[in-house]
Amino acid sequence: MKAASMIRTAVISASLSIPVGALAQNFVGWLDYDGGGEQWQRNKSRLQDFGEQFDTAWDMYQYLERQAGGGEELTWADIAQPEYDWTGVYTRARGGLSFDPDVGPNEISAKLTELGAAARQEKIDLMAAIGGEYDPISDCRPPGHPRWASEPFLHDFVVTPDQTYLINEMVNDIRRVYTDGRGHTLPEDAYPTWNGDTIGFWDDGSLIMHTTYLNAGQYQRGTQPNYSDQVEVVERWRKVDGINLEADFWVFDPVNLAEPWYSRQAWIELENDDHLLRIRYWWCGENQNNDIIITDDGNSQFPDFDFLDNDAEISTDENVQRLGQD
Amino acid sequence: MQKLLTTGALLLGLSSLPAVAHHSAAMFDDTSLVEVSGVVKEFQYTNPHSWLIIDVTNDDGSVTTWGFEAEGPSSLMRAGIRRSDLPAGTPITIRGNPMKDGRPAAAWIDAVVNGQTLNPLNGFAINPADE
Repeated sequence: MKAASMIRTAVISASLSIPVGALAQNFVGWLDYDGGGEQWQRNKSRLQDFGEQFDTAWDMYQYLERQAGGGEELTWADIAQPEYDWTGVYTRARGGLSFDPDVGPNEISAKLTELGAAARQEKIDLMAAIGGEYDPISDCRPPGHPRWASEPFLHDFVVTPDQTYLINEMVNDIRRVYTDGRGHTLPEDAYPTWNGDTIGFWDDGSLIMHTTYLNAGQYQRGTQPNYSDQVEVVERWRKVDGINLEADFWVFDPVNLAEPWYSRQAWIELENDDHLLRIRYWWCGENQNNDIIITDDGNSQFPDFDFLDNDAEISTDENVQRLGQD
Repeated sequence: MQKLLTTGALLLGLSSLPAVAHHSAAMFDDTSLVEVSGVVKEFQYTNPHSWLIIDVTNDDGSVTTWGFEAEGPSSLMRAGIRRSDLPAGTPITIRGNPMKDGRPAAAWIDAVVNGQTLNPLNGFAINPADE
């Protein structure tokens, strides 16, 4: 069914040459979500425990790579097989704006450090005080990763032998997963970016990846926690049937997380027989009415609608009034 | 014509996502609904948000221009609301959560056009492809 699994000896050598703290882990392979019932809660607990065996995301990724014998090399012929056919228009299948789709937006399943809990409480207190918040993505900056996983809107996924592209319509956002055996950007050349640097390998229909060099951010606005620029993510993606893509996420962040945070993310292909759905360019500057400012107290406001010529006169918001005087 | 309606219970059962998924909805009063009837002036079908601009004739003959914010084109397409559905001049009755600061703008909840109800929040409903 698949192409001959060509073990990448170079990758294995590289892996073995790096000391890995945890060598006797209990491997946990793909476990079905299966509607998310009690069995899933047991499965999820095993997957959480699996992540907790590792000190770092990199340790975990290397372990998974060794388990996979270095991974498989895809060919274009493989990509015609159903497990690699990720074509279509997708959206997040469940979870709304909660990073862990299994819990509500005001709940979290993460085990936070004292610092992480305090940062979350600070967000909650500010929202209670001002009756809202300002989300940095309001100006069309990228959500960044791992927040990327909790964003709704349309997605495309493109699998090729050497790279996989994970695309969100939102801010024309593309994550590139290099599966050609290359390593990460060298530390001396690396710097944090919104989506970081991602490498991966294929193992029996699953795409396993490691992402590092990320900007700090928040898992989602509202009461969802923050992550630091030390955050790293191990993901294991899989096409579980004809229309559903799911992914194990283990997020490691020594600043905000006391333990790796496991969640099962999911995307579903949407009906699009008429081909009307498609990803469209995303830019806040296209429409003046999408301009959002941060107010003095840290809230969100529209500064100047194009369908009004007297915003400052009508608005009771001092921030808008002041703009009208400038 | 403008009506201020009360509230929260009318919103139950709508999408689990907030009315606006790209920015905080703090500027809108989600405990109130405003309803206006008028004609479409312009449908700004843009990312990250679309805006439906409505001219509303008041009782004294003056015209107030309202803006109703919705999600972007792909979400509207998923809700079955196409750009061509709302050309300028189309009579419309529309409801939304009004701005807190008194400006004539709102987060678009639903609308009635030619007897048909348009619900932009259906843009987050999932209509799966065939397996």
